[in-house]
Amino acid sequence: MITVKNVSKSFEGFMALSDLEMNVKKGSIYGLVGTNGAGKTTVIKHIAGVYKENQGLIQIEGEPVYDNSFIKERIGYVPDDLYFFGSYSLKEMGRFYKGIYPNWSQERFDAMVARFGLNPNQKLTRFSKGMQKQATFILTMSTRPDYLILDEPIDGLDPIIRKLVWKYIVDDVAEREMTVLVSSHNLREMENICDAIGIISGGKMVIERDLDELRSDIHKVQLAFSDKEKAEGELESLNILHREHRGSVELLIIRNRKDEVEALMEKVKPVIFDMLPLTLEEIFIYELGGADDEIQGIIF
Amino acid sequence: MFQLDSKSRKSIYEQVVDNIKEMILSKVLRADEKLPSVRDLSGTLTINPNTVQKAYKELERLGYVYSMTGLGTFVSKIEEGQIDEVLLLNGKQQMKNSIRELYYAGLRRDEIMDIIQEILDTRERGGAK
Repeated sequence: MITVKNVSKSFEGFMALSDLEMNVKKGSIYGLVGTNGAGKTTVIKHIAGVYKENQGLIQIEGEPVYDNSFIKERIGYVPDDLYFFGSYSLKEMGRFYKGIYPNWSQERFDAMVARFGLNPNQKLTRFSKGMQKQATFILTMSTRPDYLILDEPIDGLDPIIRKLVWKYIVDDVAEREMTVLVSSHNLREMENICDAIGIISGGKMVIERDLDELRSDIHKVQLAFSDKEKAEGELESLNILHREHRGSVELLIIRNRKDEVEALMEKVKPVIFDMLPLTLEEIFIYELGGADDEIQGIIF
Repeated sequence: MFQLDSKSRKSIYEQVVDNIKEMILSKVLRADEKLPSVRDLSGTLTINPNTVQKAYKELERLGYVYSMTGLGTFVSKIEEGQIDEVLLLNGKQQMKNSIRELYYAGLRRDEIMDIIQEILDTRERGGAK
């Protein structure tokens, strides 16, 4: 369980996080999404214990994270910006990790290095960028963390390796109830793997929900009526977030339960009625694209 | 076991529930057969184990499967003629849409009835073999 409570952080007067709230349940795969500069990496660095908050509380299992080595040795953190000691090979780096992390599994490390097909004797700095990311992932997963924190882990990896990375992650979630916090811009992939989603913007949490719940109460609806005047009044009872006309067809984004919408349509009898759940990508753009009709016009 | 459609607008959760339901109704999975464990299924499909868990719970609630502590999840005996409310509702909705389109196409009531009759006849003949 990761708890972030009223956390604020500023860098030389720039408010990176303001009053941020976030809750990640044990055993969950939590997707953190947001526009560039929204504060994703900053939150992640707080939770990983790299930054200290100016204000608020960051706890894992009720304990503060910063400067807490008991908690930190149970966290696996794969940052977006990787750093390696100049002359270390993957094998030597493994030995270094082994000395720090008590849950280190040499067996798993050897198996993963073979599976990913990396040369353990090559210097890490001579690896390609994607290979460095794989190496960090292998090292991190070999510490058998209870909390895995990944900052844009899959961006830049090929589809075969991505699948392999996710497979290792879901196996550990199923087997040992590992908790995963992952940030990414690949919303389709997040949608398929996460069970909870946090959308942040301007250093604040905009929406934090169970993914299936989030998707079940926001819909895209296309409507056309033979008697538009009459139907208009009935539509007012819906919670309409966005509306536009495309010829005689109305396109609505509404936040209502599916059965509520269907019951109403039963009454107003549109000649065209088509309802689709929104994808995470559409929810993201709707929530963060703001009132900018031009952006929304492109998407919906 | 089955494939997921990553392009579908249906959530992974719904896809898992629907796929297993279909396999049970079409008797690909037989009564008392064991479903793959949460871990196995999430591993093979590379999906969130919590989603699989939730799907299994929903299938149990709907009466398609039963679980035995420590042993796993098994397919229930589906009685002949047992009707799934959700399936019925969806089917009705789809029929309504199709019939509406036939009306727009200018067909009369008896012509539409003929079409339905024909579809049913073909289906029953096919099923009798």
